[in-house]
Amino acid sequence: MPTRRKPPIPVSGVVYGEIIYWGTCISALLVIVGTIRSFLETGSSVSVSYLLDAALSGKNVESIWAASEIQRVPNISFYISTWTNGESLTVIGIAAGVLSVIPAIFFSSAYLWRSNNHIFAIVALISGFLTLLAPTGWFSP
Amino acid sequence: MRSMTWTKRLPELQFLILCTVCCYAFLELFITPSQLSAFSVLSAIDLILLSFLLSVLVAIISVIAGVGGGVIFTPLMLAFTSIDTLIIRSTGLVVAMFSGLVATGPFMRKGLADIKLVFLGSLPILTGGFAGSVGAIYLAKEMADTGDSFVRLLLGLLLMAIATVFVLGGASTEYPEHNDRSKLGRILKLRHMYWEDSLQKPIKYKAHNIKAAIGLLFIVGFTGGFFGLGGGWAVVPVLNLVMSVPLKVSAATSGVLLAMGNSAAIWPYINVGALIGVIAAPWMLGQIIGGIMGAHILASIKASFVRKVLIVMLFATSVKLTARGIEGLFGISIPLI
Repeated sequence: MPTRRKPPIPVSGVVYGEIIYWGTCISALLVIVGTIRSFLETGSSVSVSYLLDAALSGKNVESIWAASEIQRVPNISFYISTWTNGESLTVIGIAAGVLSVIPAIFFSSAYLWRSNNHIFAIVALISGFLTLLAPTGWFSP
Repeated sequence: MRSMTWTKRLPELQFLILCTVCCYAFLELFITPSQLSAFSVLSAIDLILLSFLLSVLVAIISVIAGVGGGVIFTPLMLAFTSIDTLIIRSTGLVVAMFSGLVATGPFMRKGLADIKLVFLGSLPILTGGFAGSVGAIYLAKEMADTGDSFVRLLLGLLLMAIATVFVLGGASTEYPEHNDRSKLGRILKLRHMYWEDSLQKPIKYKAHNIKAAIGLLFIVGFTGGFFGLGGGWAVVPVLNLVMSVPLKVSAATSGVLLAMGNSAAIWPYINVGALIGVIAAPWMLGQIIGGIMGAHILASIKASFVRKVLIVMLFATSVKLTARGIEGLFGISIPLI
């Protein structure tokens, strides 16, 4: 007689999923705060209306930023240094969601190792280091 | 009815929806809208609200089909707006990634996504994506638009062939059976079981053709990185048709794998200012809320529905890509949505 019981779920997978899930939810809250702040700011260095208008009119990235108040193309260091700005907080929120993958991979790797899945634990570690290198610019073409 | 009861068990989803709705209601009611010169009938806030609603819809469809929202978002934006392609590609990656990121939790909790398959595919997807980005820059410098159109045409034809295999494969692709077990699959213990809610019974499966799948996932990663579309649209066929993984597990694993792969690909865009927060934010929020909805709907719907959605997605994308390839190569205009 075939079993009708629910099969056990691997802890390594649950740990991976939970870290990313909650990391993404928290990052969403940051993005919401950033969005509200963007619209409330007066005299901001990066105006919402300007950014939307410039992007919708087909300007390229460099010219959008060159004609803005900051007059240079921003990178992650710029966003961190101006984190109180609405636009920066929004981008930091998105980046935080993306970064939640890194601890998830490493914790999942540890649980895979404990459950005797050594090959997958090592593969996970390598993937984790590759993902960790990405924000440093190593992946930039 | 069961498909809707899950919302009661997810206070975080209710909280997020509440926060998002309050945010947009506050903006609509209390902020004086600045009229956009590009859209005379819409204000900046209207545009953001519209983007959010579209994003929720795109996320539900893309999570159920396991294709990644970038495949829907990017062609639509390229077709209907004049926004710089770099901005569209970076926002496309956010769209492709966040529904998968947030769906990772429910998929893993329910045992729908296979963590071993995720890590097996992670290295070829990550390295392929990086090689694709470098290849795109090289081809753009050497062959300009001709090379791009040629690759788009080939990709469109390939997707059309995959969609045809899905149509001809019928129900056998929903729960594929394979008698010969691969040696590598046995060594890696690539066997698993998941609870099929729609049948109320567990489904066992074993992964096959591991080496071929790793090679194909590298190619998928390469093409995903090359076009900035993500690669979920082709990960499902590789897992389902090549590795004989049940369709529902393939769709869930694909979403998780895609999110991991794209989390590395987004950084070059952030570092060149191509990710504009105010444009990407409503799409990201829509993907998170729609992604959670889609992940729970996927667990309780019949696998045949997922297959139909996937076939439509693959055909629609292939037609769009083929048309763009022909347009670029022969300099003709094909009026196509």
